Amino acid sequence: MGIETLDEAGETVKESIDYANTLSGCKYADIRLGLAECKSASSENGTPKGMEEEVKISFGVRLVAGDMPAWGYYGQPLGKADLRRLSKTFRMGINKAHQRALANSRNKAAMKELAPSLSPVRLAPIEVRQDVIPAVYEEDPRGVPLKEVLALAVKITKEMRAVSPCVKFAMISLGTGISRELFQSTEGAKIDQSTALTYAHLYVVAQKGNTIPETFIDHLGEQRGWEITRGKNVYGKSALDFALERTRDTVELTGADFLPSTDEPVVVVTDPNFNALLVHEIIGHPTEADRALKMETSYAGRSWLLRGLTDNELGKRIGSELLTAFSDPGMEGYGYYKYDSEGVPAKRVILIDKGIFKGFMNGRESANIMGMEPNGSMRATECQYMPLVRMTNTVIAAGDRNPEDIIAEVKDGYYVVNNRIPSISESRENFRISAQKVYRIKDGKLVKLYRGGGISADSRDFFMNIAAVGNDFKLFPIPNCGKGQPMQVMKVGNGGPTIRSKARLTGEYK
Amino acid sequence: MIGIDELRNCVGKGLEATKKDGVELEVFASWNELVTMRLNYTSDIPSMGVQEPKSTQSFGVGVQAVFKDKGKVTIGFGSESNNLGPRAVREALRKARRYRFFDPDFRSLPSPAGTPTLSNYHDPAAMEAKDTDIVDLGWKALRGALTAFKEKGISKSIIVGGDVCVLKEKVAIKSTMGIDEFDESTILTATITTMVENESVKGTGWSTSTHLQGFDPEAAGREAAESAMRTIGGKRIPPGVYEVIFSRQPVTDLISHIIAPSLSLSFLNASNTPFLGKLGKKVCSSNLSIYDHGALPGQIASKRITCEGLPTGRTDLVSNGLLVGFLSNHYLGQKLSNPVATFEPRNGFRLHALGRDHNVQASISPTNIVVEGREEVPKEKLLSGIKEGVYIGRIWYTYPINGMAAGDFTSTVIADSFLIRDGEISTPLKPNTVRINSNINHIINNVHSVTKEKKATLVWAAEEAVIAPEIRVAGVRLDSIATS
Repeated sequence: MGIETLDEAGETVKESIDYANTLSGCKYADIRLGLAECKSASSENGTPKGMEEEVKISFGVRLVAGDMPAWGYYGQPLGKADLRRLSKTFRMGINKAHQRALANSRNKAAMKELAPSLSPVRLAPIEVRQDVIPAVYEEDPRGVPLKEVLALAVKITKEMRAVSPCVKFAMISLGTGISRELFQSTEGAKIDQSTALTYAHLYVVAQKGNTIPETFIDHLGEQRGWEITRGKNVYGKSALDFALERTRDTVELTGADFLPSTDEPVVVVTDPNFNALLVHEIIGHPTEADRALKMETSYAGRSWLLRGLTDNELGKRIGSELLTAFSDPGMEGYGYYKYDSEGVPAKRVILIDKGIFKGFMNGRESANIMGMEPNGSMRATECQYMPLVRMTNTVIAAGDRNPEDIIAEVKDGYYVVNNRIPSISESRENFRISAQKVYRIKDGKLVKLYRGGGISADSRDFFMNIAAVGNDFKLFPIPNCGKGQPMQVMKVGNGGPTIRSKARLTGEYK
Repeated sequence: MIGIDELRNCVGKGLEATKKDGVELEVFASWNELVTMRLNYTSDIPSMGVQEPKSTQSFGVGVQAVFKDKGKVTIGFGSESNNLGPRAVREALRKARRYRFFDPDFRSLPSPAGTPTLSNYHDPAAMEAKDTDIVDLGWKALRGALTAFKEKGISKSIIVGGDVCVLKEKVAIKSTMGIDEFDESTILTATITTMVENESVKGTGWSTSTHLQGFDPEAAGREAAESAMRTIGGKRIPPGVYEVIFSRQPVTDLISHIIAPSLSLSFLNASNTPFLGKLGKKVCSSNLSIYDHGALPGQIASKRITCEGLPTGRTDLVSNGLLVGFLSNHYLGQKLSNPVATFEPRNGFRLHALGRDHNVQASISPTNIVVEGREEVPKEKLLSGIKEGVYIGRIWYTYPINGMAAGDFTSTVIADSFLIRDGEISTPLKPNTVRINSNINHIINNVHSVTKEKKATLVWAAEEAVIAPEIRVAGVRLDSIATS
């Protein structure tokens, strides 16, 4: 059973959507049906730890109904046997979503006096599309033998262990697959979209003597075929070479000193990989409209860019003239797609233009509340989950400087390389992000390597202090962006060029 | 809804039907449903109140098999979703056979070990709760918060968020090793956050229960609102080293993100824990003990059995400052046990986003983590003698910033916090102005005192509940942030 199984499901989805439209008080409904064929294998320390080939199927229903229109949802994974009874399963889901919407609407109307801002669901209008988007790949994931995936995983961890006796743990998870999603709505949208995915997830631990072990976790991946393991990826390296480079780095770091912290900001040059996590946390998340509208307050916080609908940073300077950032699902990367999970065409959203804050990524509901055009940024990790506003390929735009010059101009500073772990304050107005490596720059040269370091700054200060932006733009895969309840772990693309700014150094705790 | 008898029937008949294949088998079947009412109310922005009334459910069967072919042992795992018939078990076994491989660390499937102590601890009423009734629970939480604000004359600049969740889980497991067990559980949680934005204050309230009776989302909403209002008028503090009282949520955050992972064999197996090589040694203040207990009656993370079919129970991790154990499942327990250290497999769970999932193999997950002091004190005594300190009520984004093994962590103080002066709670601390930069070894080695009173506490996306006291810690470094 493969993604072609869904060829016959389109008509059932259409009939089910038509059924939803007949239910009392139904104002809107959509159904998403997805099927993913994937194979994966994992290895630790040169031994196999697992392999599987699986077909994942799931569906989700969103429905707006009631006198004071309110949402009702339903979703669930499906099995092969369900494909023979799709119509019945869809109707069960639609009926549940409908009952929830009606109950929700009744409660909302009853609470209006105590909660005057309660409002009916309104979705910003869109141009309704019907389209078919095929997956893009050179080597079809379906044609890759599972044993080849496992053999590569085992070979990689065996060679990682062989790098040095200091390597205490080497693990990799390799996977490749293809997925297809059908979307239909009561407005007449009908989208059939497929994507490929290939990834390598790496975990290495090295220890010299009884010192503190050095750990590093990294990820290689593209929404493409098996060719990415052979070097067609952002690193231009095969999965094996990528793993060995990360392993050698980790071993080298076991002999490095820990970075000392500073109380005051210093000059820092951050590389494109580090900036991927920086832009993710400090630009991507606070420019998601649902977060800005306080809908994430209980989970991942708010956005310092929007205090209220009339009190916000829109049109104001939040960074130096050198800072431009955008989100573009049209670029190849983990955030690539043609239509979002509401059937809205994906488009580039300018977030910051030469230091001026310009706008948010949104969905139809949040766009309506903000009085903006929907820009197609709603996604769910699987069809059983409800779409949320998610960043796409969200990046800092390239500048025109040679990155080597950006470092060479620094008399006394630090070069911050490869992202590691973030910790962000509640509205993303401050951050501490650690790096894999930090180098001391003295008179334009890298003179000393440190481990256990990173930077911390107030977001606005960091943006305003950007003094150089490189021409070495890169887009990296971020595989694990968590959002929502229950948490959905989404793949997104983040990146940028080398930049120079100021921040406090954060190092080993003493 | 699938009944427990259907799950037991599935694993029983499935095992019987595959006996002739002559392989060692473990058949696990599950049914889960997670119903979530996600709240979003903003007084100054159009909002929905209950934004997302939703659910997702799953069921199916997973098979772990051991194949012996001419003296060579291989293992495989396969699963089949939305089917509990004999054909499903056969199909899962076919996949397990197809994907089998040799794992030098595999010893055996789990064998029966003891008798579970919990029985009939789920709530049939929660299991059967109507959709519309659960929607009502979400609105009750909102009503609780808004009523509390209204009573204090606050109607603007309000945010109410969070969720009310009902998780229903049923599992059955049977193996050729003699395991034949089942389990049913219901978990109800209301976790509510409120803000009065123009005062920059945030408050938290929660209610947890295994039964509808005693579950009170309205009280959680009220508690969150009252907590926010208590911190109006917050002040900044200068950076420095302070005597700190960590309330229950920060204790839970530290346990869930730093300490519990560090005390898992998964991290020990990777040499990625600050407790590497320290088993049997002193790792923290002798006033601190930590244990995991999956069979505590009435606690929301309690289970009758693990997802390997073994009884849950108490696993001591830190006892009066000594490291005495690690959380374990059967696989890693066997791999890492040695003549001087054995690990009881009480934490092998197949947790996924929706509960106990037939699609995944058992990894290591905590259940109820209990934090105790050797000499526990009432809260007043915790404050006693602190001339100038900080009571921290809620932290956020707590991560092992330099890797788990280093123990360094950072997080920001976002709500429910106060200054302590002369042994008493005084001025509220302004939220989002303080970042904690510390190391977990420093925190646990400087525990001054621990309260007797504890409460089951959850943090976002964590698997476990922490039965958390409040803890006083000396010498915690706090930095000022968001000064621009």
